Amino acid sequence: MKLSKLIIFAMLALGLGLSAARAADPKTPAELEKEKAMANPYPNDFGPDTLDAETLKSYPAGAQAGYKLLRGAGDKKNCQTCHTSSRPLNSRFVEPEGKDTAEKEAAVAKIKKDHPEYFSKENKGIWQIEPEIWKRYVKRMMAKPGCGISNEDGKKIWQFLVYDGSHRKIGANGEKWKAHREKLIGELKTKKAARYDELAKDNDL
Amino acid sequence: MSYRFWFYTLNAALLICFAVAFGMDYNAEWKHYQRQYYNLAAEAAEKNAAAATDPEKKKTFELEAKKFHSAPMEIKQIISKDLGRVDRCITCHVGMDEYTNPTMKNDFKDHPFKAHPNVDTLTKNHPFTKYGCTICHQGQGLATTVKDAHGKVHNWEHPMFEGQRVEASCARCHQNFEKLPGAEVAAKGKKLFYEHGCVGCHSINTVGGLVSVDLGDINDKPLERIAGFNFSQIKGKDGKPLPEEEWTLQNWVLGHLTNDPIKVIPNDPLAKINPEPVAPTGMPNFTEEDATGQRELSVEDAEAITTWLISHTAEQLPYKYMVTQAAAPEPKFGDAKAHGKFVFEKYGCAGCHGLHGTKGRRNFNAMAKDQDASAPDQVAEMAKGREPTLVDTVGTYTHEELVKKISGGVPASAINKFKADGPTTPLYMPAWKDKIKPQEIDDLATWLLSIAKKDTSGF
Repeated sequence: MKLSKLIIFAMLALGLGLSAARAADPKTPAELEKEKAMANPYPNDFGPDTLDAETLKSYPAGAQAGYKLLRGAGDKKNCQTCHTSSRPLNSRFVEPEGKDTAEKEAAVAKIKKDHPEYFSKENKGIWQIEPEIWKRYVKRMMAKPGCGISNEDGKKIWQFLVYDGSHRKIGANGEKWKAHREKLIGELKTKKAARYDELAKDNDL
Repeated sequence: MSYRFWFYTLNAALLICFAVAFGMDYNAEWKHYQRQYYNLAAEAAEKNAAAATDPEKKKTFELEAKKFHSAPMEIKQIISKDLGRVDRCITCHVGMDEYTNPTMKNDFKDHPFKAHPNVDTLTKNHPFTKYGCTICHQGQGLATTVKDAHGKVHNWEHPMFEGQRVEASCARCHQNFEKLPGAEVAAKGKKLFYEHGCVGCHSINTVGGLVSVDLGDINDKPLERIAGFNFSQIKGKDGKPLPEEEWTLQNWVLGHLTNDPIKVIPNDPLAKINPEPVAPTGMPNFTEEDATGQRELSVEDAEAITTWLISHTAEQLPYKYMVTQAAAPEPKFGDAKAHGKFVFEKYGCAGCHGLHGTKGRRNFNAMAKDQDASAPDQVAEMAKGREPTLVDTVGTYTHEELVKKISGGVPASAINKFKADGPTTPLYMPAWKDKIKPQEIDDLATWLLSIAKKDTSGF
């Protein structure tokens, strides 16, 4: 009886010691960055950080490869070095497909003609459709000091984001996307009212 | 022992003291110089007398020579009532005493005998009897030995401005002095201060950036506020540590420009002394060489900036000594790009982003490429941190986004750290909307977008 008590006590002490040691471990820069991102969240951050398997399965191989790179793996966390995958996956940004800027500009003009509601003032937080918005953002993130994403990988991530936005956020899925974004914005408003006000003031919801 | 013994002994000691004091005074350093000057002046007068054909002139020269031979040794001084200074420099620099040398000119080549240069222009506007010497040259006016008078002694905070550094004094009284003849080096220093972005971090009397200290009174900085350790890290022009007598404010300023500043002010990035880590100075390394082996600032450039900076003091001079001059109007620009480039220099953006935005400067412990978390020298890895290189990054922004970024700034807390438990980065981007006018920010963004590297890869 005494021995078993002693063993339980020793195990408890070991467990406490290990958890204390773990708590004392300094956080990695990535963890700190995520904390920082979550301290100043966007509505995007409240959404899922993965694509559902069915949607992903329907994407072409190139887009699936880009998605994998965006998620990162092992030590190579790519986008998740500084924020979770939720941020790009639930973003309001949409860059239409097209082989060059001119084609993309034409695509934006067509979307604007067919769906003027995507560009309306009240839907600013739902969609932001620009010819090269993802290209700029991916490159901007890649230019951040310490970002280890190569040009080749960055290109694949960009191609995924373009495909994903064009197929999941507009057209047939437009209404579904709108509901999703409104839910996320509502969540931000409830959970972080001050941040919501700040982003609303900056037109950056 | 008897009282008589003590009486005689102490009297003898007193007599010896008097004799020593008399001897020291008799052989005072200044007397040698003054005597030498009189001898040289007498010799010159005798030569003139020998060469003179006119008997009147000959007599005058002979009388002059006689006067110099019999001139008494005396402390000479200029009392500058307005400026509250008493300068005895002319005790040795007799050629600059207008009572001894009324023409204020002579042919002597060496100090302290030679006359003051540019006497026709300088004396006319700055009569020595009114200004004295130290108002322009600094140093210790009351002293009568070379070392003391030149101010290179412990606890004397304002040693002489040597060589071109005396131009600092021109800039002190002459406002907007850029076109003032004789102040070219100081003017160059001021120009470089803006071009290389010093003003982006350092303000001058509140005009300029907020990242580091205001330099509006840098010449008054007490030396006791600078640790000996930091001074000992400065290497002089010969590459050797500065000797203690050279630990002056002038060399402190110059040393920041001719040494890698993080070697001079390494602070405590690993928290070995302090409870929290403290980053080294954020000042850029101006000794870094580019691909062609050129330093961003040559030693001459560094001297020029030093000259201009040490003109800044909070000491109040009588208003009648100040020479007001309106600042030159800002140039007018026909297009936004040219104006934006001007704005980049005006606000010292190069201080963090390099000349023309082409090279982000060091930002200690900021995340950067090629940092190794497992390297033994973590300080060296943290020192690889960089500010953004604008030509690489601005192309990823729209005009509107750039305007927003410049206006709102980037606080240090938003900069990714390489070492999570390391110090906060010393550099950050202030919210420039408080300093830069909206039109200027707009044009700056236009120029920045024009310098972005063009992408030809399709991504």
